[in-house]
Amino acid sequence: MANFFFPNVLGINERTLRYVLPKNKKISRIIDSKILTKEALEEAGLPVLDTYFTIKSLYEFRMFNWDNLPNSFVLKPDHGYGGGGITVLYAKAKRSEEPAWIQAGGSIFTLDELKSKVLNILEGMYSLFFLPDIALFEERAKLAKVFKPYSFKGGIPDIRIIVFNNVPVMAMLRLPTKESQGKANLHQGALGCGIDMATGLTTNAIFHNQIIDYLPGTRFLLRGIKIPEWTKILEISARAADALGIKFLGVDIAIDREKGPVIVELNNRPGLSIQIANLASLKERLERLKGLKVTSIKKAVRLAQDLFGETEKVGEIFEEKKIIGVNEKVKIIEDGREIEVVAKVDTGAFRTSISTDLAEKLQLFNKVIGTKHVRSALGESERSIVPLKFILHQEEIDTEVSIAPRSNLKYQMIIGRRDIKGFLVDPEKVI
Amino acid sequence: MSTLISQLINFGVPVETLVLLLMVPITLTFIAFCRQVIGVRGFGIFPPLILTFAFVETKLKYGIVIFFVTIITGTVVRFLLRKLRITYLPRMAIILTFVSLSVFLVFFVGSYFNIGGLRVISIFPILVMILLCERFISAQMERGPRMAIILTVETLILAIISYFIIEWSWLQNILLSWPILSFVFAIIINFALGRWTGLRFSEYFRFKELLR
Repeated sequence: MANFFFPNVLGINERTLRYVLPKNKKISRIIDSKILTKEALEEAGLPVLDTYFTIKSLYEFRMFNWDNLPNSFVLKPDHGYGGGGITVLYAKAKRSEEPAWIQAGGSIFTLDELKSKVLNILEGMYSLFFLPDIALFEERAKLAKVFKPYSFKGGIPDIRIIVFNNVPVMAMLRLPTKESQGKANLHQGALGCGIDMATGLTTNAIFHNQIIDYLPGTRFLLRGIKIPEWTKILEISARAADALGIKFLGVDIAIDREKGPVIVELNNRPGLSIQIANLASLKERLERLKGLKVTSIKKAVRLAQDLFGETEKVGEIFEEKKIIGVNEKVKIIEDGREIEVVAKVDTGAFRTSISTDLAEKLQLFNKVIGTKHVRSALGESERSIVPLKFILHQEEIDTEVSIAPRSNLKYQMIIGRRDIKGFLVDPEKVI
Repeated sequence: MSTLISQLINFGVPVETLVLLLMVPITLTFIAFCRQVIGVRGFGIFPPLILTFAFVETKLKYGIVIFFVTIITGTVVRFLLRKLRITYLPRMAIILTFVSLSVFLVFFVGSYFNIGGLRVISIFPILVMILLCERFISAQMERGPRMAIILTVETLILAIISYFIIEWSWLQNILLSWPILSFVFAIIINFALGRWTGLRFSEYFRFKELLR
């Protein structure tokens, strides 16, 4: 009940009065414009999405060569806010008679519709006070594998991090839905998952401010999603706030399949629903940072993880290491072919071994580079050693393996401890 | 009645105008209070204010009828024009042209059924309705129909409550007796509202999971 009378939540009034105001005019001018923001971030050496084209005036609109547009891009108004006016197109529509794209969410978006959208942006329909604006064609981040099951057709999830005094304070994974048409803004209908600041694991999820457990319409649990490169993401958010000199800032970071974390947008009045997604109070966290001297970005990131992480210590170990089970699917790469086999993980063995059958199938016998005398449960024997490349959990492992006569056994491949450096083995995990 | 007010009335300033003018700060304060403390957004501060005064001019029930006629016309026309490729301002101009035509319909109905309130409407409330319609449609285009309806209903509720505040004769008499009260009240309350950092009433619902 005490919570009810002395609510420990950051509300809009307090956010605006204490954290958004007083404004610095020069900084607001930069942060309100996506183009200027991008320039400032690039100057600071931070990763941003490429700008393909801009259209600044009706003249440029008329001269624009629409054939140049790629298959996948995002159209944005330079001064838009809250995700307004953003169109996410992820593929060319092949069956349509006129040139058209497929919009995130699955509907067809014709060139005519695109042109009128651009005109509306130029007219200022999406900018504050209806001032004439610039249309911006931007690279669409490529979906990272981890997010594949959770992302709606063509939408790109991103991570919203609130930074105060250069210290990341709270974070949320935002998953686009059909309703949000590929946009990651919560009030456009995207999902939000709270993130543990120490480990980058999602904790709890919300949809329209209601707590949910599963991705709507599926059995995918929204808890425990591991955000890759978490420490790096925290560092980028802190550096972005530092580069622009803003005390209180929302940083949106997408994870591109090739580039890794990239900054999508900055927001100087970030939404407050992030508190529900995390079941934690921003007010409390912000007050803990008041008056704190943060001397370096490294320290800021460590502070964020130590102060606001829910799981201590465990996080540090899990942070860098991937967890594998007692058996794992691996992809063997040989002569440009890829063969998928289920391998057993055996920390009792030093070297990885494969069966004679598999070695024959891969034609490895002509690549033998030596032999090795081994003592095993099967008795003493001489084994041939061959070079082998395989992929385990997206990591390419280039190694030498022995060939063992194990055709009568369940697994065609045994992975030894020499090749699982950097992994942790969880004996409860099986496929 | 204060001497200042009676002087003005003697000079021929209409008393209704004076009452309405003194009510402006009160209404504005009420709208600001609803935003900061209750969390009712509406379309900002000016649209609910001016809608209130339009209602005062037309009388509430007729005002609401015209309000809905214009809003529905605007939505239907917007829907019909959806596929057409035209830019924002000309599109809005066409929609609002139909909205003003719909007021003719109101006149016809008013004349046919001999309803005075729907027959004699001055241009001011009509323009206000067109303004509201523009806000409603641009909200539809930018933030989706759901949000547009929520904001419109909120604006309507603010205007209806403000209407009853303005028509409250006890308050009217007090303000005519001590006109300065209106301004002092507005300034003091708004300074306090502007420094208020508490949770809005609506946020108790929004953050109910956190307040348990």
